[in-house]
Amino acid sequence: MTGKTAKTIFWVGTLVSTVIFLWLTYDFHQQERKFVKAEISPDVIEGKKIWHKYNCNDCHTILGFGGYYAPDMTKAYYRLGENNIIAIVTNPDQVYKNSFRKMPRLGVTKEEATKLVAFLKWVGSIENRNWPPQDEKFVRAFKLREAGAKQISTVDMVMGTCGGCHSFQKQGRRIAGDFVEIARTITFDRDTLAKFILNPQAVKAGSAMPSQNVSPETASQIADFILSLKPGKEVQK
Amino acid sequence: MIRYESQKVAYPYLALSLILFPLQVIAGLWLAINYGFTLPQGLVDVFSFATARAIHTNTLVAWLLLGFMGGTYFVLPLMTKGEIFSTRIAYAQLVIFALTAVVAVIGFLFGWTQGKPLLEIPVPLDFLIVVAALLFVFNVAVTVFKAKERSVIEWMLLGGITFLSLLYLFGIPFYRNLNTDYYYWWWVIHLWVEGAWELITASIIAFVIIEVTGVDRKVVEKWLYVETGLFLFTGITGTGHHYYWIGSPDYWLWWGGIFSALEPLPIALMVLDTWMHIKERKNPIVNLLQWKYIIGCAIFHFLGAGIWGFIHTLPPINYYTHGSQVTVSHGHLAFFGAYALLNLTVFYYALPQLKNIRKFDDKWGVYGFWTMIVSMVFMGIVFGVAGILQTYLERILDIGYMTAHMTMMFWFRVVLFFGVIFLIGVLTTVYHLFTLKEAKE
Repeated sequence: MTGKTAKTIFWVGTLVSTVIFLWLTYDFHQQERKFVKAEISPDVIEGKKIWHKYNCNDCHTILGFGGYYAPDMTKAYYRLGENNIIAIVTNPDQVYKNSFRKMPRLGVTKEEATKLVAFLKWVGSIENRNWPPQDEKFVRAFKLREAGAKQISTVDMVMGTCGGCHSFQKQGRRIAGDFVEIARTITFDRDTLAKFILNPQAVKAGSAMPSQNVSPETASQIADFILSLKPGKEVQK
Repeated sequence: MIRYESQKVAYPYLALSLILFPLQVIAGLWLAINYGFTLPQGLVDVFSFATARAIHTNTLVAWLLLGFMGGTYFVLPLMTKGEIFSTRIAYAQLVIFALTAVVAVIGFLFGWTQGKPLLEIPVPLDFLIVVAALLFVFNVAVTVFKAKERSVIEWMLLGGITFLSLLYLFGIPFYRNLNTDYYYWWWVIHLWVEGAWELITASIIAFVIIEVTGVDRKVVEKWLYVETGLFLFTGITGTGHHYYWIGSPDYWLWWGGIFSALEPLPIALMVLDTWMHIKERKNPIVNLLQWKYIIGCAIFHFLGAGIWGFIHTLPPINYYTHGSQVTVSHGHLAFFGAYALLNLTVFYYALPQLKNIRKFDDKWGVYGFWTMIVSMVFMGIVFGVAGILQTYLERILDIGYMTAHMTMMFWFRVVLFFGVIFLIGVLTTVYHLFTLKEAKE
């Protein structure tokens, strides 16, 4: 090979790739609205600033980028729901009291947390080819729940609401206990349990569980579900 | 034994770089402890994983850039056969860069960050970095333009550092849209490591190879053209392998997948040409350790960046491995192989000359070399095992992040073990480089 051929390879290779890349960048911006459909409201922008302010991204990934020390936040809105996110970021020490891994108390205010939720809700709406794979079930459950609770199984509905902290049959997260165990020890009746779900502090002061943003009907359905797991009295003994 | 007085300006750069290297590794060990053990809430509150990670990655970038800058100032007079345009600018640039780095790290401890991974340095400090970068580009450019002799190597080097400085600007603004934010975040991160930095590496290594092996300059320059051409051809459009899951048109899967699949090619050529130049050497082997570093850098670069990167960036695999410890494995092997070893090659080339030593006693240097190489290979393997396990548990068995991560505790204790050995290797190497002595005949 002559020096001239080598030089040609360099310039052709570099320029061809640069042109392709810049053209694709132009096209990417042209098509942007197809993938980012939801409006970027002032709350979303504020929320993004808060996301940066507390350097969340160095422990958590988002769109798969960042620190791998804590769960991905791309679809966190679907996985956890508004109340759970607020509860976690404002009281991480309570939520992760028994966890092997801790989240720092960053001093996030409730107002900031609400904006953070707006940002995460918006991020969740990005059409990104269903990544991350493990959160797709939460996205599906959330969308079914939005479309009408009748169409989905009770388990999907319950886990879509409570799966941020509770687990059942390998679904959800084991922070506040598995429903089978909870059902075994629970003493509430149906109405008390439904009230508890809506406002835990009113039923049991000092409870670490945050209020759930669901309708009274849904709360009753969840209460029915949990109570249905209660083992029957062992009459044969 | 230095041929030009202004080469001396390289020394404080290299020395500072060598001090930061162990600090980076210590921060890394602290991260492994965070993974391997449960820390008390009070400690996590004041010194979080996020802060430690920012320190780990920023000290990495700082010591690598200091090495590139010091290395450039050392080889530039040799390349251009003349003094550096201004040593004053070079010192001013170092002071600005070093002070900014110190303020940045102290700021991180108090939560002063831009909140973007790897680009945590807050905007006001970014401008100081830009000033330092402008001084550097200016100083190098004037030196090159004023030179009597100019060859492709200088142009590549100047092109690399200019490209590096320009790309940094894309990380500074606040983007309203997260998807656009990450689109341009990769212009800094990816186009640095798979574009600008490769240009710098390829040209510095090409020059060191000419000097050490004595092979014909024309032959090396031809290889350099082909390699950098392929680096940029595959690397620029290869940026697309980061755009699969950010919300982007489908064609990125193809452009990103195909171009990044070609990315190992230039590195393979680099291994081949290094090997050939060494075989056809005209100079006797004076310091065997220098040659070990040249070969080690080429091979490790190929395995860590090339092969590991290749496997991990194919879209159907990346869907599962993206954002997991697999990336950590790839990142460690690639950065160590391509850039840490490049810097150490430059140190072993430049420091003996700066200390007026022809043949140095390399006993401790060899221990350090092998300790680092072997422990980093094991760290890469353990991160990889942890990553595949995490991916399998979390994304195939579907058992939830926290449960999947409980298994990480064991693997990160193993990483910690190899990390401590790595630190021993690093300290041995740094000690050896600071105390180089003439070999006893």
